[in-house]
Amino acid sequence: MPGGEGFGGNKKKDDKKKEKPKYEPPVESKFGKKKRKGPDTAVKLPAVYPNTRCKLKLLKLERIKDHLLLEEEFVTNQEAFQPTEAKQAEEREKVDELRGYPMSIGTLEEIIDDDHAIVSSTAGPEYYVSIMSFVDKGLLEPGCSVLLHHKTVSIVGVLQDDADPMVSVMKLDKSPTESYADIGGLESQIQEIKEAVELPLTHPELYEEMGIKPPKGVILYGAPGTGKTLLAKAVANQTSATFLRIVGSELIQKYLGDGPRLCRQIFQIAAEHAPSIVFIDEIDAIGTKRYESTSGGEREIQRTMLELLNQLDGFDDRGDIKVIMATNKIESLDPALIRPGRIDRKILFENPDGNTKKKILGIHTSKMSLAPDVNLDEFITAKDELSGADIKAVCTEAGLLALRERRMQVKADDFKQAKERILKNKVEENLEGLYL
Amino acid sequence: MAVKDDLKEDTKSKQAKTKQPKEEELSEEDQHLKDELEMLVERLNESDHDTEFYDQCLKTLKDFIKDSTTSMTAVPKPLKFLRPQYPVLTEIYDKWTKNSNHSDVVIKLADILSVLAMTYSDDGKKESLKYRLLSSEIDDTIADWGHEYMRHLALEIGETYQEKLGVDEDLIHQLVQLSLKIAPFFLKHNAEADAVDLLLEIECIDKLPEFVDENTYARVCLYMVSCVPLLAPPDDSSFLNTAYSIYLSHNKLTQALTLAMKLDDPQLIKQVFEVTDDELIHKQLGFILSQQMPSFKYPGDNEEVQNTISNIKLHEYFAYLVKELNLLDPKVPEDIYKSHLENAKFGIGTSGSIDSAKQNLAAAFVNSFLNLGYGVDKLIQTEEDNKSWIYKTKGNGMISTTASLGSIHQWNINDGLQVLDKYTYSSEDEVKAGALLGTGIVSANVHDEIEAALALLQEYVNDPKKILQTSAINGLGIAFAGSSNEEVLGLLLPLVSDLDISIEVSSLAALALGHVFVGTCHGDITSTILQTLLERDFTQLTNKFVRFLSLGLGLLYMGKTEQVEDVLETIDAIEHPISKTLKVLVNICAYAGTGNVLQIQSLLQMCTAKPKDDSEEEKKLAESEEDAAVAAAAAEGAAEGSSTDAAAPDATETADANDVEMKDSEDKEETKKEAEDKKDASATTDEEEEELYQGFAVLGLACIAMGEEIGQDMSLRHFSHLMHYGNPLIRRAVPLAMGLVSSSNPQMKVFDTLSRHSHDPDLEVAQNAIYAMGLVGAGTNNARLAQLLRQLASYYIKSTDTLFMVRIAQGILHLGKGTLSLNPFNSERTILSKVSLASLLTISVALLDPKFFILSDSNTATSHQLLYYLTPAIKPRMLITVDESLNPIKVNVRVGQAVDVVGQAGKPKTITGWVTQSTPVLLNYGERAELENTEEWISLSNALEGIVILKKNPEYMEVDN
Repeated sequence: MPGGEGFGGNKKKDDKKKEKPKYEPPVESKFGKKKRKGPDTAVKLPAVYPNTRCKLKLLKLERIKDHLLLEEEFVTNQEAFQPTEAKQAEEREKVDELRGYPMSIGTLEEIIDDDHAIVSSTAGPEYYVSIMSFVDKGLLEPGCSVLLHHKTVSIVGVLQDDADPMVSVMKLDKSPTESYADIGGLESQIQEIKEAVELPLTHPELYEEMGIKPPKGVILYGAPGTGKTLLAKAVANQTSATFLRIVGSELIQKYLGDGPRLCRQIFQIAAEHAPSIVFIDEIDAIGTKRYESTSGGEREIQRTMLELLNQLDGFDDRGDIKVIMATNKIESLDPALIRPGRIDRKILFENPDGNTKKKILGIHTSKMSLAPDVNLDEFITAKDELSGADIKAVCTEAGLLALRERRMQVKADDFKQAKERILKNKVEENLEGLYL
Repeated sequence: MAVKDDLKEDTKSKQAKTKQPKEEELSEEDQHLKDELEMLVERLNESDHDTEFYDQCLKTLKDFIKDSTTSMTAVPKPLKFLRPQYPVLTEIYDKWTKNSNHSDVVIKLADILSVLAMTYSDDGKKESLKYRLLSSEIDDTIADWGHEYMRHLALEIGETYQEKLGVDEDLIHQLVQLSLKIAPFFLKHNAEADAVDLLLEIECIDKLPEFVDENTYARVCLYMVSCVPLLAPPDDSSFLNTAYSIYLSHNKLTQALTLAMKLDDPQLIKQVFEVTDDELIHKQLGFILSQQMPSFKYPGDNEEVQNTISNIKLHEYFAYLVKELNLLDPKVPEDIYKSHLENAKFGIGTSGSIDSAKQNLAAAFVNSFLNLGYGVDKLIQTEEDNKSWIYKTKGNGMISTTASLGSIHQWNINDGLQVLDKYTYSSEDEVKAGALLGTGIVSANVHDEIEAALALLQEYVNDPKKILQTSAINGLGIAFAGSSNEEVLGLLLPLVSDLDISIEVSSLAALALGHVFVGTCHGDITSTILQTLLERDFTQLTNKFVRFLSLGLGLLYMGKTEQVEDVLETIDAIEHPISKTLKVLVNICAYAGTGNVLQIQSLLQMCTAKPKDDSEEEKKLAESEEDAAVAAAAAEGAAEGSSTDAAAPDATETADANDVEMKDSEDKEETKKEAEDKKDASATTDEEEEELYQGFAVLGLACIAMGEEIGQDMSLRHFSHLMHYGNPLIRRAVPLAMGLVSSSNPQMKVFDTLSRHSHDPDLEVAQNAIYAMGLVGAGTNNARLAQLLRQLASYYIKSTDTLFMVRIAQGILHLGKGTLSLNPFNSERTILSKVSLASLLTISVALLDPKFFILSDSNTATSHQLLYYLTPAIKPRMLITVDESLNPIKVNVRVGQAVDVVGQAGKPKTITGWVTQSTPVLLNYGERAELENTEEWISLSNALEGIVILKKNPEYMEVDN
């Protein structure tokens, strides 16, 4: 210590101290923790509060915009005056030189401190190696693939996966073509789902003004063919949020623990891509009531559901994730799954009434070439127990009949026949049920 | 607006649907409603009914609209169905107004039309407002139409007002009248923000106090105050004034005082004191005031109150704090160096024998920072005086070491002066000078009637020995920072104007005056400094100390924004290149803490490098001109055969005003080659001089942006760009600026960046980054920073200067063993303390050239003594609760991270993640305290910070368990 010799006056005490220097744990390395993906904190824009629409928010946002404009101006000017491209190319060359060639690929096992890590190469052995200073340490996290120098095996680069394979499976790349306009009736259901799912993502301030937390999720239930999935598709079509869709049965996996893990991953991905909407179809596949069971498979399914419960309303705040579930057996679901707080709104889908049927028929027939003698109104009588899907089936059937006769138009007769067939099948189904 | 969006959507989908041959089918109910509405409109259209009938129709219509329950996602049905009828209704209205026989009905129709026009707002005609104004007579029913309508109306009022201002006075008047009716509605319905926004739009914010009551005032004021940093003048001060008067009228004196301090208006502060006669409240106000302006003269005659303002007892409270926190044991620098933890890979015996005097000096500084205000230490005040640490340093180091005694006894004038007394009789000038400086340091921010520092220092101000003189000047500057003491003015002003003394002394005197009169726009000092700049010899102006002369001028205008214009104009008269630097410096001081984006823009533009070829061309041009001028001068000289004394300056002026060196050219026979050489030399100094303003510009970015949170965050982005593109001087300034923006606020992202810069190949950048790391963590004991600094200490073990800087940073990090703060913001981070900012800025300006100032080993010029200019910025970050007789008491408080509750519904919690502690407690950056037992104690101050007086609640009853 420079000047250390000067502590003459306190030598005694000093000596005592030197004998037993107080142990201080090293400060944890700031890298290598699994962190949520997203923009780097250093470049993130400041959050703007309050959320209510008011001048203050406007002023704050404008201020941010001003600063960004200034930044843009400065950077473009600088780039124009002293181009850095050449310099960058030179630096890149230097880095490439340092990296050597060829490089091997390894997996990062653990980060020891700011400059050292343990890596395992594909060959098998694990190495304790240094991290080169030019590596972006922010990208390092346990389990990621790294480039290793061929001789020293030190880390010289990070390989980044651009897209998580999980996301590509479940994320909806192409939004469905069905929009709200393609739904006949269901006005109140549309309104409810809009309020519970869309508005919280687009206008969070409305809820904040009122001082309430927006609903987290909704469950769509009702008889088969009443448009639950169709509505979900329309939501996906309308929203710009990330839309993840899975079927309940997908969560049942071959190996123990895979189901819950998949469930966790879904919500993790959703959180990373927030705001997002998770749509789980046929939730009764995993969401049935818990009961004593000796079968390992069933217990696994129940565990998957427990994980889902936790993800829906667990300890961590999930932020901007909305959940839509669909089922036609709501009574068999576990009460914990659909309690308020997890699923705040239960939306019932009923078989359409006469008016709605007319609308549905109108939608389905709007693209068909109909003969002038077709009077759609007469096909729909209030007495028939027809669901939306049945009506669609009638239309398709009528079209097929017309096709069989090589006609270019669908006649009223076709419709009549088609309807009879469909109703017959329906009745047969019901009868079967009776016999069992 | 959600509903409006949906309206648009709806119209779109409608248009889409009307393209289809079939109309959208409606349910029976809807069809019925639609038919009914259409019928009503039709009836209105028939011209043969009497007024009574129309009235009935309108009433039904109105009921229909009002009764419809709206949803968030859809347009109310009646409005939807009436939309197509809107043009018909407007026609009816026109018809009726022409006939004008049923006036009452006309008004009612206008009323309804106004609502309907909401659905037609896309075309920007603002018909909603138009019909509202036309139906103005029955305005008591506006509220019937609901919130959404009111908001829409407010929107249109705002737009129309801006359009018609100065064009249509009548309309403006009407708008104001209408707004004044709408505002109370908003206030009643939990939409304070809307009310304030509306009044701001129509520039009537001063009307607000009439409408607020005790349920709403708190939220209104909170909203207004948080708007202030983002508003353009003069709105910001009118907001503050309005909020001030609201607080005052609701008897919230402490809040009112905070705003009065923010407005920097002594008159308003006095007014707060005048509202009440309660001595206790006066004392509490005094405690609040003491943080911002300890030299304020209490309008009353109660001495105790004046004492609270002047910080007389600050050292007692601080002693109580450290006693309770169990920090009494003095620490030695080694306790924080912790060299046993250092990485000893650079050889055993980390010290090395390099320049131990410098390291001893560092130890003295660290010791003083560490034990600041404690009054005891183990390094300097040893029993055997002759072996004292002071003699382990040399030269100027002895000044600083002696002066550190002042720091150790900070705020405790009696003890401090007693300790320093014996050194003032020392035979060695350095020790004596140190004692003088220490005298100044001890009494910083503490002002009693005697003003002992002034009495002790004044005789040395004109001392022929320079070190005594400069120390006395610096001592005065530190002791009376922000006090506007006229006697100091009388002592120092002659030194500024005296052209015969060295420029260094003049500059330091100006700097001291700048600190004493910070933000006062003092006319005499301004003119004297400017005069000096005009009269001083050109060569002298290249002296590096001149920047303090400029800074002194700048500090006078701290935070004064537009009042600086005149000075800037005067500065233009100075022909020396310094004028540009001066201008920048004065400007950044003037706009410090405003967050003004335009200023930031111009500063960023200054930092933009000139295109290379451009500047080269310029140079060439200048060169050729110069050549010509030199030739001319030579010719002239040859012709006249006498002196070029006159010609040379002429030549410089004509050729290039920036060229200073040319003036010295005495040689008549100057060959061209020589001239070229000189030009090269001058070009480099020129460049540096020219760049200097860029360095100030970067510091200015920090000063201006620190005013509001968004600016603070965004400035960090600017800095990273500047670091990337900037020239060496800019790069040197960036770490300092980052430190300024977040002083005593150790954010990971900031010190992470700084730690990266601390390994910069440019040693001066690294040194500044290290200092900034200290500044960012000042007084926090942040473990991560401490570790980083330790690593730096072993990394720079061979570089004496950098190691010195590391030590200083370590000292600042552990300021007062972690009980103090350098943050320039007071009162829950709302008020910028000019004194503090001036202090921080002074050090930063000095560090733009670290080698010349802080790290200089020169024995003649002032160097590291400047570090003591930090003293006025140092404040304890404590919360001490005292009872009615100002004795400390222990109360449980909850301390947690402050939450921004502006504009939130209900009564949200103001702190989060709190821990219950017993006072006294330390408050970290961004933390807020709350009383745990609000039933037993009543706090006289709204913000629990500093020293707070608690009163027992007279109604409190002890509940037996």
